[in-house]
Amino acid sequence: MRSDIQRHRLAYGKGTAMKSHRCHAVAAVVLLGAVTAALGQQQINSSQMATSLAGVSNTRLSLTGAQMRQAVLDNIHNYPGTLPPRPLTFPQMENMAQFVVEVDFDFNSAVIRPSSYRTIGSIADALHNPILLGYGFLVIGHTDSVGGRQYNVGLSQRRAEAIRDALIDPFGVNPGVLEAVGMGEEQLRDPAHPTSGVNRRVQLVNVGKKFCFGRSGEQFVCP
Amino acid sequence: MIRRFLLCALFAAAAVPAWAQTMSYADAISQLAAACKNDIARYCKGVPLGPRLKTCFDANGARMSPKCQQTRSAVYASISRRAAAQRNIGDVCSADIARLCDTSHADAHLVECLVSVSPAALSQQCGQTFNDTGWRTERARQ
Repeated sequence: MRSDIQRHRLAYGKGTAMKSHRCHAVAAVVLLGAVTAALGQQQINSSQMATSLAGVSNTRLSLTGAQMRQAVLDNIHNYPGTLPPRPLTFPQMENMAQFVVEVDFDFNSAVIRPSSYRTIGSIADALHNPILLGYGFLVIGHTDSVGGRQYNVGLSQRRAEAIRDALIDPFGVNPGVLEAVGMGEEQLRDPAHPTSGVNRRVQLVNVGKKFCFGRSGEQFVCP
Repeated sequence: MIRRFLLCALFAAAAVPAWAQTMSYADAISQLAAACKNDIARYCKGVPLGPRLKTCFDANGARMSPKCQQTRSAVYASISRRAAAQRNIGDVCSADIARLCDTSHADAHLVECLVSVSPAALSQQCGQTFNDTGWRTERARQ
């Protein structure tokens, strides 16, 4: 993985030190609008996605994918039941720039349906937008409550990985900026209707600047 | 024989004309979905969108509908061309940027710089690569 990161040059090649005040200038209001659009079952386009992901606070997410996966397993262990008795929350994530889309998969499978190819292409367009250069992203998969909780964690993990893999090849997104996490049904969007389709979704979260660029153009993991 | 050669050459050129704009990834992949939906269901069922789908197309292309065959060549050519341009623009255009934008390296203002100057002022290779990134049109839409 590490060698992948080294080999995969970011778009600007030489000496890209993105001015942080420029990156953070985009208003959070737009983010809210974009998420609302997604909630209204209307898919957002790549420009809206990029803007949503760029409306970022100056912080880096103090939570790793591994910690999230552990929290999911702990939630199932500590609060057993057919449905999660209490939703798992990550307060740190609430202020991060993000959006939600729906992606159709084959039943019980991590294979993306052709009807959702466009959505994956739009995410790729957004992640390649110059305003997001050097940032890291979580690709988080959520299921509805059909099936066991433990099973759904694995299914959503595989689905998130399928999206990550397609973003990398053929769409050329830097593998070093993507991490896939499956939340299963631990964060239902509509707990009153746990089997509803609105619960099946994919969340893209900007976790903050990951790669920095030196004066002579070399790329390194930001300190 | 010559006629067939010309026809083939024409076909190959039609797939990726050098002057053409690349498509956005969203447009490219939805063209593939539209043209190849039935062929995917028939020959590539259960194959994930990603490197394995392209392998499946390569293995079964000859059996697929002419429309799907034609579309998928153009789509994959466009996608890889745009991805390569976005990856390489900093290197390809470094001399142009130094010359035109009064900076010694391709920094965060690369896109602003390349958009602001007349396309005629760019070297042929830099101009073409910048077009291929799709960032010129993206910027125009904002």
